[in-house]
Amino acid sequence: MLIVTVVVSLGVYALWLYTFRRRHQPERTPREERRVMLRWVLGGGILLPVVSIVALMIFAAPTGRGMLPLPLTDADPERIEVIGHQWWWEVRYPGGEGEADVVTANRLVMPAGEPVDFRLGSADVIHAFWLPRLGGKRDMVPGRFSTIRLEADSPGVFGGQCAEFCGAQHTGMQLHVEALEREDYDAWLAERRAAPEPIEEDDTIRAFGEHCAACHRVAGFPKVLVVDDVEHDIEGPDLTDIGSRPTLGAGELPMEEGAIAYWLQHHQTLKPGNRMPPHNHIETETLQDIGAWLETLEP
Amino acid sequence: MSESKDASLTPETRRLHEGLARVWANPRGLGALTVVNHTTLGLRFMATGAVFFLIGGLLAMLIRTQLAFPDNNFMSNETYNQVFTMHGTVMMFLFAIPILEGLAIYMIPKMIGARDLVCPRLTAFGYFCYLFGGIILTSSLFLDMAPNSGWFMYTPLSSGDYSPGSGSDFWLLGITFVEISALSAGVELVVSILRTRTEGMALHKMPLFAWYILAMALMIVVGFPPLILGSILLELARATGMPFFDPAGGGDPVLWAHLFWLFGHPEVYIIFLPGAGIVATLIPVFARRPIVGYGWVVAAIVIMGFVSFGLWVHHMFTLGIPQLATAFFSAASMLVAIPTGIQIFVWLSTLWLGRPVMSLPMLWILGFLVIFVLGGLTGVMLALVPFNWQVHDTHFVVAHMHYVLVGGMLFPLLAGLYYWLPQVSGRMPSERLGKWSFWLIFLGFNITFLIMHWTGLLGMRRRVFTYDTAMGWDIYNLISSVGGFMMAGGVALLILDVALHFRFGKPASQNPWNADGLEWAMPKPPTPYNFVSLPRLETRNPLWDAPELPRTILEGQHGLATIDHGRRETWGSDPLTGKLREVIHLPTNSWWPLLAALTLALVCISLLVRLYPLAAAATLVAVGFLLRWSWENGAHPKAAPDATVAPGQPPLHSRTMNGPGVWTMSVSHLANGSLYLSLLFGWFYLWTVAPEWQMPAASPLAWPLLVGAGVALTLGILLLAKLVRRLRRGHDASLGTGLFVVAILGALQSVLLIGTIWLAKLAPTESAHDATLLVALLYILIHALLGALLCLLQGLRVGYGFVGAEAPLEPVVVLRLWYYNLVVYWSLFVAIWVMPTVLGGTS
Amino acid sequence: MSHLLRLTHPIHLVGGLTLWGIWFVAIYGGLSVACTVAPPSPDRDALTGINVVLGVSTLGTAILLLWLTWACMKASRRTQVRRERFFALASAGIYLFSAGATLFVGYPVMFLPPCI
Repeated sequence: MLIVTVVVSLGVYALWLYTFRRRHQPERTPREERRVMLRWVLGGGILLPVVSIVALMIFAAPTGRGMLPLPLTDADPERIEVIGHQWWWEVRYPGGEGEADVVTANRLVMPAGEPVDFRLGSADVIHAFWLPRLGGKRDMVPGRFSTIRLEADSPGVFGGQCAEFCGAQHTGMQLHVEALEREDYDAWLAERRAAPEPIEEDDTIRAFGEHCAACHRVAGFPKVLVVDDVEHDIEGPDLTDIGSRPTLGAGELPMEEGAIAYWLQHHQTLKPGNRMPPHNHIETETLQDIGAWLETLEP
Repeated sequence: MSESKDASLTPETRRLHEGLARVWANPRGLGALTVVNHTTLGLRFMATGAVFFLIGGLLAMLIRTQLAFPDNNFMSNETYNQVFTMHGTVMMFLFAIPILEGLAIYMIPKMIGARDLVCPRLTAFGYFCYLFGGIILTSSLFLDMAPNSGWFMYTPLSSGDYSPGSGSDFWLLGITFVEISALSAGVELVVSILRTRTEGMALHKMPLFAWYILAMALMIVVGFPPLILGSILLELARATGMPFFDPAGGGDPVLWAHLFWLFGHPEVYIIFLPGAGIVATLIPVFARRPIVGYGWVVAAIVIMGFVSFGLWVHHMFTLGIPQLATAFFSAASMLVAIPTGIQIFVWLSTLWLGRPVMSLPMLWILGFLVIFVLGGLTGVMLALVPFNWQVHDTHFVVAHMHYVLVGGMLFPLLAGLYYWLPQVSGRMPSERLGKWSFWLIFLGFNITFLIMHWTGLLGMRRRVFTYDTAMGWDIYNLISSVGGFMMAGGVALLILDVALHFRFGKPASQNPWNADGLEWAMPKPPTPYNFVSLPRLETRNPLWDAPELPRTILEGQHGLATIDHGRRETWGSDPLTGKLREVIHLPTNSWWPLLAALTLALVCISLLVRLYPLAAAATLVAVGFLLRWSWENGAHPKAAPDATVAPGQPPLHSRTMNGPGVWTMSVSHLANGSLYLSLLFGWFYLWTVAPEWQMPAASPLAWPLLVGAGVALTLGILLLAKLVRRLRRGHDASLGTGLFVVAILGALQSVLLIGTIWLAKLAPTESAHDATLLVALLYILIHALLGALLCLLQGLRVGYGFVGAEAPLEPVVVLRLWYYNLVVYWSLFVAIWVMPTVLGGTS
Repeated sequence: MSHLLRLTHPIHLVGGLTLWGIWFVAIYGGLSVACTVAPPSPDRDALTGINVVLGVSTLGTAILLLWLTWACMKASRRTQVRRERFFALASAGIYLFSAGATLFVGYPVMFLPPCI
């Protein structure tokens, strides 16, 4: 396609420039002039575009069809739900009958070598789900869900990003994607389906309950400790497996020891405008304790 | 004016020149605000557009500075979002459209042999709306509360919840204000091109530029109203919480995307068509022969104008619309390649058959060709759904779009600038500076954007304020930024050249390019009345076939060469054949356009600061000014109290039944109808598509009242039509009384409608159904009130003797409005009462 | 108003694409409504009633437009007035384009399932 583009444009340029270079003009009757004009217009103005667009249409048709979530002949494809938030990704693995969903954030783990149906939605504004390596992108519109089928040929790690402008931190809305072999994927999911370990109440846990738990869910966190006395209309990422995630703040910084505590203190400088309120009123030590505890949260 | 003192003129002709100069004079000082002349206003439009171009360009430079290096801290993310939103908004709404309209306003009457546009006061009003709207919008930048949701303002991001500041309000109100200007110019250009061509200029003889502008103007008339409706709905949603776009209340954010792109895609062609019109004007001149394939070009223009409305969804391929539906739009998008190809090859064959000469304007045309062809080809690639999914919202699209817009609009515009500068100033610009600025802009542009295709293919998204060096995009972005600054340097040189040429340019000869167009047949700089006498034309290339025209026009050898009556006059001709139909008498300088625009600006500002009572009061005052303006028409002493015309001339237009006013009203209703259809589209769209739409089991509207209002309207029309029929036969007995009765019927309709709204007890802030219903009812209520008010005024005018058997035009114009009301009323009745009642309430 | 029906009148410059536009809105709107009201099962792929109706309307519109092309050509040969011939020929071209555009846009109906 690129070659055709270059050839066509260079050809048109050359023809135009040539008209300025010609010195000798044959005398033509109006009839002959008309014939010359018709030759150019019918050949260049009609035939050329018609042939190109018909060719494009024939080329485009099968490619487009492959991306449709048509029913597969053998098994149902894996289904993963991705919800866009300002400015992070909620990723849900639907549970079976009577089973809870596995919920994580900013990290998408998918099986490789098989088609996966992504069910896309949004919690606030319009976002767009885009995994450049795997092809197409799809907008995430509040109030409705849409499905896009993608397939990773082989295991690997790659990036995903929000492709529809969604506000202050559109830039900072990155998704870490891992494609795993089927059995690794199953194992990864099974770990997270297991019942959470009980959480022992201590000062850190109480502080988390007071400052964080109204927006951030951690599976198995004791309900009685959640202080939810301020009005908030947003939801923060689920933190149940945060210790196992490769990045923080939707790709803003890598997960290392102490990274969460650092993030908790400086997140408004690291990712200005993000929806988590600043923590200036909380003592640094408390934040460090919360960070250290969160880092232990892995399945 | 030097020509008018030409010794070869007879004393009689000299008196004619002096008389014309007196009647058409532009006042100076404060009075300059009252000018309605198209030459002056066209120049004002273009100068203002150029200023906004510089502002938009400055914003572009800020963007390129920020993106020049990875992890750059030159701007914060919040500032960056404001800057790119405003760059797009300013360039599209405050530069591209108005400057092209300015060019058309300036050029069209000169090309078709008229002395002014058909509604001069509307030109002035449009200019002030544009100026004030532009100032309001750009002031937000300095107040640091500029809109920051992108120039497409997708909801819910632009809604009250996610953009709580005034930014979105600035955009919605400012842009709507500017669009009033676009629409008024659009209406006026359509009617002027169709009805004021000089004698003998049949439709198929008019310059191609006029065809392009006709198409552009019609597209504005049809294409802008969906966005105006969208802006009204979104502003209502922001101000009062009506959930048109909120899924929780039964709305749908995708409705905004539809309304926006219903406007947004035609907009691209609205910008391209005048650019192509410039190309089609210049190519024959520099090929030294008439254009070949005139009919092909006309067909291509028509096809482009239509097909561009069938493309809007291609901006929404990723919104999750069924693939079959996107396939329709994908196919329609590719079809545009055919009319584009036809035009490119018609121009090529004109050059092929001519003896082309190189010149500065032609250099810009070649620049246009190189850039636009590439942009068009990437456009065809983008029309492919799978490819589109991949590069949508990356820098590839940024590059494509700039190739099409800069190639298709800016380069032809600059070609036109260099071509027509001598016509405006009477002096030639500098060849050397011009070439320098061309190469700087041309190379700078390509360096910036050619590489950007690649950056986009590498995955760089649009609208990101910075990027990580690990992505490997550093060098490409730096190159783009360097190119951007180079282009800015070229623009600076261009401004210098234009500024210097007014002082140092060589005086231009009468027809410096040896062009064929009528605009070269007048004195330079042009007189406000353009032509001393209006020639009869039978050819597409007047100055080539009749080179003596500049002299004979000046000597008053042609039509309308009298001025004793003290009126500003131009020909009104048959749209098809160019046969003379009437003498149009044009209004003179007036304060009303400025006063009306100022009060509308007050409305806009008071909505912005949410002083709603003030806004309501100012609206009433603005309506008052507009009606007062309309008072000075027909046989009013300031218009044409005396209907005598020279022997052999057709009658004055206000003394006929089919003057241009009837056409203006009809074309305005094309715009109004487009708004109404957008509203109907919104209603049915939400009804069928919105996931949470709630349709009550029974319509909340009381049908007896609705039917009663419809009957009052219908009776009013029957009576009004009868009055007009009698006028046609020359009877105006009890015309005034009849008009008052019609006004009372209109008032009755309004009262019944108000009753309907009152009794319906709608909850517009809770459900999108009630909100849409309320807007629809208010729409017909406003029209009912307007119909009643205009009939009342007509009744009064009959009493004053401004309207009657001698001056019968105005009731015919008002009747058009009533017919429109009739169609809208009963179709809306079917849509909002009959269909819900028959189909029953479902969600 | 009857003069507007004569094929030599410039109103026919916009006639073909107006018909095309109405057809376009009708199939797009019809498709959306049909998919909301009665979406066929995805198993049936492109062999659904919706596709058949869309396909038939495409063919019907194209045939009407082709007929109008032919009629305009004939009108252009009959008239002696240059202006009328100009408009009849240009209209014929646009009617022909509209017919082609109808077929081209309607072509995906043959192989794409309607509602996904």
